[in-house]
Amino acid sequence: MLVSFNLVMALAAVPAALLARRVGPGRAAAVGLAIFAGAGLACGLADSLSTLIVARCVQALGGAAAVTAALELLPATVGSERRATTIWAAAGATGAALGPAIGGLLTELVSWQSIFLLQVPAALLAAVPILSVAKHEAATGVIEPELRRTGRPHVWANLALAMVSAAIAAALFLLVLLLIEGWRLSPIEAAIVVSVMPLAALVGAKLSELVADARSRAAAGAILVSGGLAGLAFLPKATVALTVPPQILVGVGLSLVLSALTETALGGRAPQAIHGGWTISARHAGVVIGLLALTPIFTHDIAQQRHDAINAGTAVILDSPVNPLLKIDLAEKVSERLEEERGKVPTIGPAFEPLPSDPVTRAEVEQLRGELQDQLNRGATHAFSTSFILAALLALIALFPIALAREVEL
Amino acid sequence: MRGRVLVIGAVVASLVLVGAYLAVGGSSYTPEKTQNPCKPRPWSNPQSLGEIANQFTISALDGAACKLGVSRETLARALATPEGRKRFAEKYGITDAKLAQAIRAGLLRAVDDAEEAGALSPFLAAPLRETLQRIPLQEAIELIQNAKSLLGNVQSFLGPASGIIEQFLP
Repeated sequence: MLVSFNLVMALAAVPAALLARRVGPGRAAAVGLAIFAGAGLACGLADSLSTLIVARCVQALGGAAAVTAALELLPATVGSERRATTIWAAAGATGAALGPAIGGLLTELVSWQSIFLLQVPAALLAAVPILSVAKHEAATGVIEPELRRTGRPHVWANLALAMVSAAIAAALFLLVLLLIEGWRLSPIEAAIVVSVMPLAALVGAKLSELVADARSRAAAGAILVSGGLAGLAFLPKATVALTVPPQILVGVGLSLVLSALTETALGGRAPQAIHGGWTISARHAGVVIGLLALTPIFTHDIAQQRHDAINAGTAVILDSPVNPLLKIDLAEKVSERLEEERGKVPTIGPAFEPLPSDPVTRAEVEQLRGELQDQLNRGATHAFSTSFILAALLALIALFPIALAREVEL
Repeated sequence: MRGRVLVIGAVVASLVLVGAYLAVGGSSYTPEKTQNPCKPRPWSNPQSLGEIANQFTISALDGAACKLGVSRETLARALATPEGRKRFAEKYGITDAKLAQAIRAGLLRAVDDAEEAGALSPFLAAPLRETLQRIPLQEAIELIQNAKSLLGNVQSFLGPASGIIEQFLP
């Protein structure tokens, strides 16, 4: 589902921008938001995965039209094209960081459907101020012919955007998976944990204002994203607190790099909507590539680590000082847990209930439970390491196109 | 100049974070590797017949796993439940008869290990070995119906000799 939405966004962004140029950004944005809201409603009411995927694809079409047209509408609102570009780029970066946190909160507090249903009033509210522009466009009709000319897209900036987006998608997607599937946190707990990234992104946005040179901001951002991902790859313990420093680096980094590269890709280029479309396309193509490239690696690793962790856990049980008959009882219960949660990282706590009443045996069993859980946590955490390292490398390699990306006045 | 400071700051922050995580074991936070069952495993210092039976069972598992070419842990899980044994047989193509033969070989290895560790006198080890070699295959198959019966059988097997064994306990 994630891939289909991003794929449609990647493919539709530039055509949607061209359409916005033809029919007028006000009308394109209004229609785009209406489609986005309608498809969001369909997503929320979907009774099957296939319906949900189709509705998400339609939603991506509407989203592409609205987001690219917004770039044409912003200068009139904020006063200048440069300011519009900065705001548009920063909004994109903040949205990327905020998504998992808000999604997790809504899923736990209400339902997954609420994520989509809440988009309906949000999109309709956003459409209200655009309606007057759309009406004006409908009345005046034709767009100035010179505005239809388009320059070449900024290849290096867009290439860097795609690479960094692939790495950031890995950071967001894999971290949420690690927390929920690996460490067994609830969606709301995971949402609270990953809210560090959007908060750090706000700091990144402030830093962006202090440094004028976009290439330096992009390079610093890519390095921070890479460093944060490497930190997640080498977590020394399965503790939520240890994910905070890497998340801060990723959050600050993504804000710096996404906004700087978007500004570079748009700088001095016209029409803005079409070049904005290229950046949207590059970012979402990067997300698709990142997910498609890293998912099989991560899936293979989690199966391997599950196997290794279960073997290590069995060794812990066999070598424990617990009475052999009790040990066998526990081994049977743990085996049942593994059966019940086949393919997942198992929760082994219930296998140890009720704890023995004898204090010595109880202490031994509690120690055994702790050691067994430690082995499972090690496996669950290590299963994500290769994917995080590859994502970190991708962010580092993005430094090459960043080095070649200059803001060109056309 | 500010741009350069930002880039240097990013490099330093990244290196400090990764360096700190690696320094406190970030690269070795993986599940413990399981030991090759064919390599001798040191015996703990058994203090009672129950502990000897436990140690003996673990040695027997090592010996049987070595014979079958699987890990001790895989074999232990196979013996934990009847479903586990069925799945094990399907995955590795190991019949009950082959498994029973391996368990018999494992028990012999356990006698060797116990003797080597000084937990079993050579005077006792020789007749135990003889008895094990004479266990009919069908009885050996029954022995592996589940882990509890395996341990129970080890205990009943050691039981008659317990008086003598206990004399040799440290």
